[in-house]
Amino acid sequence: MKDITISGKTLRREMLIVLGCFIVAVGVNVYSIIKYRTPFSEIFTQIGYTLILTLALLIVVTLIRLIVCLIKRIFIKK
Amino acid sequence: MADNNKNNMDRRSFLGTLGSAGLAAAALTSFPWMTSCTPKAASEVRGEKTRIGIIGPGSRGQLHITQLLQMPEAEIVALCDIYEPNLQAAAAICPGSKLYRDYREPLDDKDVDSVVITVPLFRHYEIAKAAFAAGKNVFCEKAMCYTIDECYDLYKTGVASGKIFFVGQQRLFDPKYLKAFEIIKSGELGPIVNVRNYWFRNGDWRRPCEPEYERHINWRLYREYSRGLMTELACHQIQNGTWALGMYPEKVMGSGSTIFWKDGREVFDNVAVIYTFPNGINMTFESVISNKHFGMGEYILCNKGTVDLTRSRLYYENPAPKSGMRQLLGEIENNIFTNSAFAGTSFVAETGSEDKGVSIMPEGLRSDGTFEIMQAFCRAAITGVQPPKILEEAYYASVYAILGDEALLQEKTLTLDDKYKI
Repeated sequence: MKDITISGKTLRREMLIVLGCFIVAVGVNVYSIIKYRTPFSEIFTQIGYTLILTLALLIVVTLIRLIVCLIKRIFIKK
Repeated sequence: MADNNKNNMDRRSFLGTLGSAGLAAAALTSFPWMTSCTPKAASEVRGEKTRIGIIGPGSRGQLHITQLLQMPEAEIVALCDIYEPNLQAAAAICPGSKLYRDYREPLDDKDVDSVVITVPLFRHYEIAKAAFAAGKNVFCEKAMCYTIDECYDLYKTGVASGKIFFVGQQRLFDPKYLKAFEIIKSGELGPIVNVRNYWFRNGDWRRPCEPEYERHINWRLYREYSRGLMTELACHQIQNGTWALGMYPEKVMGSGSTIFWKDGREVFDNVAVIYTFPNGINMTFESVISNKHFGMGEYILCNKGTVDLTRSRLYYENPAPKSGMRQLLGEIENNIFTNSAFAGTSFVAETGSEDKGVSIMPEGLRSDGTFEIMQAFCRAAITGVQPPKILEEAYYASVYAILGDEALLQEKTLTLDDKYKI
């Protein structure tokens, strides 16, 4: 079996994407707290929802990247 | 066995709670009949027993026997039934007891201190009255009697006898109800605005038997012996309103008929009754025995919340809002999946709250108060001290159940004659 090598650059980029999704999810939580006037302690108490939203965002971002990658390949081949 | 242990644990924790400082005083003020359930009362009767005769050990009587056998305060010494299969079934549970076939025999038996009367309703008055005359303590299953006159006379007889007199209104000892009523009476939920009771079943209420025993075994279905749903079911639930409001209904109206079980029965198979209290608050009782979708429900509706007594849950009128994140997600979901009507009705149904409420008592608390009320009776029989208010609560529950049945039969709005007020 062939070893897969992930370069430091790739790893950093992926971690930044995860971090970006997490920050957006925290931002959504803060927005909802302000919008619905709920306690700011929900930043911590609703961390489960924040993580689920992070995961959902990550899936969306991954799908977009896959599509972009696919389109790029098609055009490069042509 | 596991179930028994669980129930014993439930009881211990409940009684422990009652015995704890603070709550004990408050609870005993609101529920004065609980005096014989405290650890102190238990220690006062330690080592002593009341000798019991069971008159009419059918299904309910056999349940009492099973529970009495677990109580250190009770010793079953006699069983009495005119129906031999029931007598033998009871004797199998409780071997060694004397067997009688006439209720006068255990009443004449000097070894019997107390009797538990679990015969059909129409015989409660005659047997209980004879029991007081024989100097016995009496635990009588509900309803107290068949007529209001009988209830009143038996109440007076019981009080005059100086003996212990309990009627099987076990909700008065049900930990779920006690805790719920403590909350209601604290005023936390605001004033009571309505009491809603219903009991739905889907069954003919018949018990299998030989044709010659039809009226004897299925006595609940015949007017001569029973008032059907009102004395068998409503009697328990009507008490919720009087207990919660601390007053008695001013008038009662309703409608009853036989709509499904047209099998020769003489009692109604569906009833809807409204009791109105002096302050205008209504209490309803509905029962249908050809549809069980709603099951049994007992609710005290207050201005700031609703208490579901049977499920021991509390629903606030304005429950704490969900977290901001959940509200936002819910709003997004609604925007995506809810169709906006463009040419349809503008009416939006006021559907009930979907709030899941909060639990009042721990889930899995299985006691319904039957054990506790019988144990309280045994302790009272030993000490000779009648717990306050217990008989009065039972009296009014029976009287108003009977009055409700009369309102159904006469198709009139009825009030309780002042001469029956105690």
